[in-house]
Amino acid sequence: MGPVTRKKVFSIMALCAMISLLLLPIIVSIPSPAIGADAPAADAAKKDEAKVEKGRDVYYKTEGIVVGAPAPKTTDGPKDYPRYNFESRVLLWFANQQHLYYGSFVLAVPIFCMIIEFMGVVTKDKALAKKYDQLAYDFIKISLTAYSLTAILGGILIFTFLTLYPAFFGYLSSIFRPVMHIYALMFVAESGTLYIYYYGWDKMKEGFLKWIHLSMSVILNIIGTLLMFLANSWIGFMMSPAGVDEQGRFLGNIWHVIHTALWNPLNVHRILGNMAFGGGVVAAYAAYRFLASKTDEDRAHYDWMGYIAMALGVAFLIPLPFAGYWLMREVYAYRQQMGITLMGGLLAWLFIIQATMIGILFLSTNYYLWQAMGRMRGAEKYQRYIKYLVFILCCGYLVFITPHTMVMTPAELKAMGGQQHPVLGNYGVMSAKNGGINVIITTTVLSFVWYMRGNKVSTLSWAKFGNIFMGVFFFFAYVNIIWLAIYGYYIPANVRVGLSVPQVATTLSCLFFMFALNSVMMKGAKQMGPIEWGKISVRSQYALIMLATAFTWMMGLMGYIRSSVRLFWHVNEIMRDNSPWAYTHTVGFAANMISFNVLFFWVSILFVFWLGSLAAKKVPVSATATAPGGAPQPAGSH
Amino acid sequence: MKGLMTVGAAVGAIGLLLLVGMIFDIVPSNTVRLVEGYMPMQMLFELACFVAGFTGLSYTLNAMGKGIPRFVQGVAFWAFILLYLKFRVYPPIPFSVRAMYGTVSLVAVFMWMSANEEDWKKFKQPIMNVLDAQSGRTRLLRTAYLILLPILIGGFSYNAMKPKSEEPIELRTVHPAPPASTKVHGKTYVLQTSQNPYRVNPEGKYDQEYSNKLIVEQSMGRLMAPNANPWDDKNQGYLKYVREGGEIFFQNCHFCHGDNLNGRGLHAFAFNPIPANFTDPGTIAQLQETFIFWRVSKGGIGLPNEGFPWASVMPPWEQHLTVDEIWKVILFEYWHTGYYPRTWD
Repeated sequence: MGPVTRKKVFSIMALCAMISLLLLPIIVSIPSPAIGADAPAADAAKKDEAKVEKGRDVYYKTEGIVVGAPAPKTTDGPKDYPRYNFESRVLLWFANQQHLYYGSFVLAVPIFCMIIEFMGVVTKDKALAKKYDQLAYDFIKISLTAYSLTAILGGILIFTFLTLYPAFFGYLSSIFRPVMHIYALMFVAESGTLYIYYYGWDKMKEGFLKWIHLSMSVILNIIGTLLMFLANSWIGFMMSPAGVDEQGRFLGNIWHVIHTALWNPLNVHRILGNMAFGGGVVAAYAAYRFLASKTDEDRAHYDWMGYIAMALGVAFLIPLPFAGYWLMREVYAYRQQMGITLMGGLLAWLFIIQATMIGILFLSTNYYLWQAMGRMRGAEKYQRYIKYLVFILCCGYLVFITPHTMVMTPAELKAMGGQQHPVLGNYGVMSAKNGGINVIITTTVLSFVWYMRGNKVSTLSWAKFGNIFMGVFFFFAYVNIIWLAIYGYYIPANVRVGLSVPQVATTLSCLFFMFALNSVMMKGAKQMGPIEWGKISVRSQYALIMLATAFTWMMGLMGYIRSSVRLFWHVNEIMRDNSPWAYTHTVGFAANMISFNVLFFWVSILFVFWLGSLAAKKVPVSATATAPGGAPQPAGSH
Repeated sequence: MKGLMTVGAAVGAIGLLLLVGMIFDIVPSNTVRLVEGYMPMQMLFELACFVAGFTGLSYTLNAMGKGIPRFVQGVAFWAFILLYLKFRVYPPIPFSVRAMYGTVSLVAVFMWMSANEEDWKKFKQPIMNVLDAQSGRTRLLRTAYLILLPILIGGFSYNAMKPKSEEPIELRTVHPAPPASTKVHGKTYVLQTSQNPYRVNPEGKYDQEYSNKLIVEQSMGRLMAPNANPWDDKNQGYLKYVREGGEIFFQNCHFCHGDNLNGRGLHAFAFNPIPANFTDPGTIAQLQETFIFWRVSKGGIGLPNEGFPWASVMPPWEQHLTVDEIWKVILFEYWHTGYYPRTWD
């Protein structure tokens, strides 16, 4: 057997090992008589029917045989809530948030690697393919160090739960026992796969082996995603329990416990959120390296890296508000009071802060793209119109952040003549906000289109018609979005919720059709000049850092909101929180705590980056990419 | 193009003159009325007109060789937004919201001014000139800033720290989250699933679609749907219950909530805040009927903790009305305002 064939055989064996690792937890999870629903039920029925106690599922309303103990009724004392001389909830908050930050990062980065590695494999330009490959390798290297930290933080989190909230964690683990074991096995599978993927990089560089390597990244990401879904089932259960009766007794159907009312929207929201967050963190890393660079080559490399990370992050940021909207809709449908607490009641002000952060994300993205036009010859023709985009963006933003309940003094309230302002009060409700965010996203798409054609002029015979068509398409997209936002005030609330569908469809149509049309028009277009990587303003890099910080802050905020909405329940309406900390923090305290978590994360990840850079392979790119062909052009745009 | 820009310049100049008049109280804010029902879009439209007008003005002045420096453009536009919000929009916008808008517009001005390198250089130039202080004028300005800025910041700090006699800001939750269920006249109602027993079709079944067709039309003048006059004795079922709800409303509620349900009743202005305005899309239009049922039954005194400072004097109507009367009055409120209660199907 020749060395190449041997390599192939080993690669296929490694791939098979990964698939086995992926399947292992599934095999283990096949219900055994000890935990399954049917087997004990059948046995019990045969032995003694009178002993079988049945309960009614609080969510699915189905009947099931009680196989678990009721949720403990805790009391404030060392038995249920042992503590240090400090608020246990804050300690848990810190441990949880840090674990989540790192967890999100290490789940997102391999997905990036997969995409970038794939781009490298399919790119015909060999120099560019090598660059993509190196970039993906750099990413996974950073992720590897962060992976260890994630595991350590996960351990700290479990110990915090066990030592500070033993009664609650005992109950949760009694319900999720099989899920937790599968989770642990998945973690083993994830680790194994990641290490094989990383250490096999150099050995599987080319040809068939590269495809095997790429397949490994797919498996790695499937495992990672399943891992996250399982973790999501715990928080989904805490918010919207199912599979238990009113006393919290497990009814034997593990799928009901996992598949709660909010599980699916949480899954979708978290995948997108993780990706956007991961993109932001890598972009900030690149920005930091750009600012610290001493040579043009380094600046060019990190400018390019920042652009790719930003583009990937924003690609997932764009659908994120829609996923969030779906989640909130499901929350309202699950419990009206939970929805009102979130968006109209106790936590409403945090949602205004969230809207502000979302706006900052999009403003930063747009600003970065406008700055990026500065490194292209020919983009000047678009730059003169940027002020109008600023105006449209900011109008959408103002509507989006206008609070329904305004903060005011009693004197201002009296001068206003009522709780709702007759002009601005209308911006405070969902219909207007949907319009606001869709205007913002559509404008971001427009900025992207301008950026993509910045240094190009289409040479097609129908180019003029194409440009007019695109202009008209965008114009009517804006008209449609704004019109639907106004129309929403005149129809029933349940129909109004449905209006978000055509609004989103309009925005996504702009995204897909306009990107596609633009790509067709720019194929073989005349280049006005090269993209001068590295010749971008430093402001753009601060915009990337702003983007990443805003992501991190917003993630902390939304995690806090999602958790706080349970108010004084460990498990909503099933297990009450009787600790002294079963109250909602003030907005100021929460903001400070989130800021502390953000700061800690950034300081610690800088350490991770530093560790990663110790063994960095430096593969600089030329500062001025020559077009076409040899330029380090991001796929899909330049 | 030139003609268009001249028109734009004229619009911008007239708009600015009007705004200056409003600032100095020569022209009342409502000279150009904010039309009820169209106010939110009108405000955005006015701002868009101003932007178009300023573009025209800038173009015209440039053509005349009297272009406005970038720095002045940026600062002036920001000042314009602040003044517009303060003096044009009425009733007055609370400071917290103006502060938010002011910050966003400051960011917007920065983004505009620094969108490309050339503009950014032009914008920075006067600041750099003052910092470099190469001429007598800039030296004087730098010295003035050196003295004035600390005084200004000191003044702000003093003002912020000075004890004030005005009432503090309230972060009031207008619609606190309701409980999962509420007990009225001995019966428990689950808010998620309960329905108004009088929202029925001719067959006597709960039918929101049917009742939606019979409510007052939402338009400039609120119009009754054809053949849907509750005060016509021939009408039975849903419309009859609306009539009965209306009678209860005018016997009990309209003193505060007003005969147009807009929160401006006879006694309304004895309270601060004034009673809820049901015609506002942010009140009953956002809520399930069961939420209203709970709030009406329990009144201001029944507000949960998150409703602090419980600024509501509404009586707990369960002490004065029957359950049926409460449901009927809710039916009337939705009928009269033309809103549909929130549902989730």
